[in-house]
Amino acid sequence: MRSLASVPIVSLITFLPFAGAIFLVFIRGGSARAVRAVALAVSLLTLSLSLVLFFGFDGASGLPEFVERASWLGRGLDYHVGVDGISLFLVMLAAFLTPLALLSSWRAIDDRVKEFSLFVLLLETGMIGVFVSLNLFLFYVFWEAMLIPMYFLIGIWGGRRRVYATMKFVLFTMFGSLLMLVAIFVLHAAYYRATGSYSLEIADLAAASFAPALQTWLFLAFGLAFAIKVPLFPLHTWLPDAHVEAPTAGSVLLAAVLLKMGAYGFVRLGIPFFPQAAASFAPALSLLAVVGIVYGGLMALVQKDMKSLVAYSSVSHMGLVMLAVFSLNLEATEGALYQMLNHGLSTGALFLCVGILYERTHTRLIADYGGAAARMPVFAGLFLTAMLSSAGLPGLNGFVGEILCFFGIFAANRVLAALAVSTVILSAGYLLWLYRRVMHGPLVDPGDARLRDLTGRELAYLVPIIVLIVFMGLFPGIFLRKMDASVSRYIDGLKAKPPIAMALDLPAPPVLEPTAGVELER
Amino acid sequence: MSLMALAPLLAVVAGALAALLLEAFLKRKDHELSATAAVLALLAAGFFIVRSWGLELGYFGGRLSLDPPALLLMAVFVVAAAFVILMSLVYAPRRDINLGQLCGLLLLAVAGLMIMVSSADWLVVFLGLEVLSVASYALAGLRRNDRASSEAAAKYFLMGSFAGAFFVFGLALLFGTSGELDFVASLSGSGAASGSPAASLAGLGLIVAALFFKIAIAPFHMWAPDVYEGAPTPVTAFLTIAPKAAGLAVLFRVLVPAMSRNGDASTLMTVISVAAVLTMFVGNLAALRQKSVKRLLAYSAIAHSGYLLVAVISGDGPGLVFYLIAYLFMNAGAFGVLAAISGQGVERTTLADFAGLGRRHPWLAASMAFFLLSLAGFPPTAGFLAKFYVFSAAVAKGHVLLAIAAVLASLISVAYYLRVIVAMYMQDAGPEAALERDDPALWLVIFLCLFGVIQLGVWPGNLLTLIRLAFSVAF
Repeated sequence: MRSLASVPIVSLITFLPFAGAIFLVFIRGGSARAVRAVALAVSLLTLSLSLVLFFGFDGASGLPEFVERASWLGRGLDYHVGVDGISLFLVMLAAFLTPLALLSSWRAIDDRVKEFSLFVLLLETGMIGVFVSLNLFLFYVFWEAMLIPMYFLIGIWGGRRRVYATMKFVLFTMFGSLLMLVAIFVLHAAYYRATGSYSLEIADLAAASFAPALQTWLFLAFGLAFAIKVPLFPLHTWLPDAHVEAPTAGSVLLAAVLLKMGAYGFVRLGIPFFPQAAASFAPALSLLAVVGIVYGGLMALVQKDMKSLVAYSSVSHMGLVMLAVFSLNLEATEGALYQMLNHGLSTGALFLCVGILYERTHTRLIADYGGAAARMPVFAGLFLTAMLSSAGLPGLNGFVGEILCFFGIFAANRVLAALAVSTVILSAGYLLWLYRRVMHGPLVDPGDARLRDLTGRELAYLVPIIVLIVFMGLFPGIFLRKMDASVSRYIDGLKAKPPIAMALDLPAPPVLEPTAGVELER
Repeated sequence: MSLMALAPLLAVVAGALAALLLEAFLKRKDHELSATAAVLALLAAGFFIVRSWGLELGYFGGRLSLDPPALLLMAVFVVAAAFVILMSLVYAPRRDINLGQLCGLLLLAVAGLMIMVSSADWLVVFLGLEVLSVASYALAGLRRNDRASSEAAAKYFLMGSFAGAFFVFGLALLFGTSGELDFVASLSGSGAASGSPAASLAGLGLIVAALFFKIAIAPFHMWAPDVYEGAPTPVTAFLTIAPKAAGLAVLFRVLVPAMSRNGDASTLMTVISVAAVLTMFVGNLAALRQKSVKRLLAYSAIAHSGYLLVAVISGDGPGLVFYLIAYLFMNAGAFGVLAAISGQGVERTTLADFAGLGRRHPWLAASMAFFLLSLAGFPPTAGFLAKFYVFSAAVAKGHVLLAIAAVLASLISVAYYLRVIVAMYMQDAGPEAALERDDPALWLVIFLCLFGVIQLGVWPGNLLTLIRLAFSVAF
């Protein structure tokens, strides 16, 4: 696809939603309908551009493609974007789910529609920006900036305890990322000392090696930020609050895309930068991941609220992804990436389904439902498919991801693999039990006319996900082939790290060297 | 040696005198005339500052020298003063504040600030400090029929006099031991009577304490919340920015060479680092508990002094100036919004007054949100880049723990800045408040600040180059 090389397609995808958001601001006195339509159109355009990315992506080299560079602030703080096999599908996931999230809010959000659409589009720019950044500074800017729209989405359109939930979300996430910021400073300084030039290019930093003690500290700082985002047990406590209080669109994007950023951060930054530290912390982190799998699953079993059930299932499923990531081998990493996409789709679909039920009855308590399948047969079918995908039924996408993960985990650690398999049983348990209680049995109130089947709009946002779930289950090769080269590059990079080339000890004592800025007096 | 070196100063002083005389002798109650004179004087000063760029002008045997960093800071003062005058045009008359006096005093304060930053001589700096102090005591007390304002002025005056006395006493010790009045010569131990380093260190300590007072560094910050809260809002904006900038500039000129040359560098460094950490945490923790947004911003101003001190500790001149400029825009903007939501003669400064602002006045609330997010340090705003540069310079100099303390303090600050946003967007509207909609000058200030906060956050290219150039050429 030579002709595409001249078009800054990645920047277009990243900033088109942003431009759309700015455009929304200046729609004067427009009806809510017009605002919604513009936002949807912008996000659909972004999606179609991301398809260009998908079909144009070669993936044979494993290197980033569609690369764009521009100098920005100097001293290593530059604009550098592109996609490789690891980030491509996450970009597509964000581009795919944003229009669906907007569609799902068509009726549910009727207060301050303009602001809502604006924040969703800004969030899309932030999410895509995180995945396409090839410069650490740029990555951090998107990573932090993305908090703001999510903060508003939960805080303005959320449930009863929205302010508490959104503050907890922001403060938890910021705690981790601010320590990561200090680690970025250290990297910047260490790289400059060792090489005499400034760089925060992710590729440069991944190629460098850092002293073991430094690696430990930096890995802990990066790891904390990512572990909070994933979230890894025991740092998950913000997640159920945020999910339960967020509006449906917020929950979908939070679960489907934002949580992936933590795992993506490990794969893109934490592990390649500090492979020795990652290897030495891998057992401990794997253990936490397994605890998260079991704990999340058990918690999901006892939830009374459908949304918090799905939220805890996220803790459990992301635990599996993290366990696979820390197995540090090809199958597991590829499985983790595939499972991230699956989780994005299936959990997104589950949140959408819960939202559909909630819009009809205004309750999310499982006990208030029963026999809904009789009234909503089409919905029941789609809901069940999403659940089975989440539970890993063969033929659907979840199975492919889980089996790859388990192969890799088994090769790394048999005991943990055995414990991790419990996720299959647990998730089948809490999901099917949920389905039985909500959809089967006698109708709670046979006279209740609110449980109508899906409208055309609801079908329009649920069916594409379900189709993709089936498609990814039947033809995983199409996706995995594009990942292969990048993932093996990543794994080879871990093995073939050159010996330690630079060192900056921590904590460094104050250095009193005269520099250019010091000579103040003439 | 050129009289041009005095031009910015003379312009400002002439403006001050013109404003005060117009006010005193013109029978008509046309305060805007004084304000016009003041703005013209500031424009003239700005013009001379730009003209002096790169000329390395000096006067009084080099005791007053306009090196590029000094010129940058002088430009900051001029812009800050212009913002304050624009903010006061409608605000002041509605609260029985004499606009002419405000403009005159403000320009005098600017004159003092300019003297402070353009000298490396203790006595000249003291002169500037006193001019600034006297003017700012009066500024704080401009709302004469308001008890809080008078209390602020009295408090500021009493504490300020103590600080002034500290400064003089310290200067006496330094001069006595070294026989020099120059920053470096008096501290380098090469002077006539270098026999008592303890006395010289004590002298330096007293002077640093006096400067800490001006900048509101803990534990010398006690006056700040009351003064900032009591003073008229535009004046508060000025007091939180300009004296801080001047004090830090002096501190930078004194401490950075002292820390690199003096044998007691590590003691000095430790003391100042502790003060910086203390300031960040005291300011931010106290701000958490505030119900009044004005007082909240007052404590946040203290916390920002702590961050700025980090730049001094790491000897990062460009970072310091960039932070000050970013801070000018975000803080002036926040106080501008605060002035805007206050109604006719009523101060509306509590969190409850901000409730529902997002619905009532979306543009104003959005601007405020930007300023607060910038103060909290979220990208892509000026506040983020400012913090990024300052803290990364600290890490590059090996002060990793200091940087960690600073980012943790920022985390605390996020909590209270977001509380204001919660009030604006996530709480229901309070009683409908009459906004001063007929105040285009104030809107202009808010708009310019918003522009500055976003532009410096996304594309600070030219300014950053200019600042780096200033520090690399000059020294």
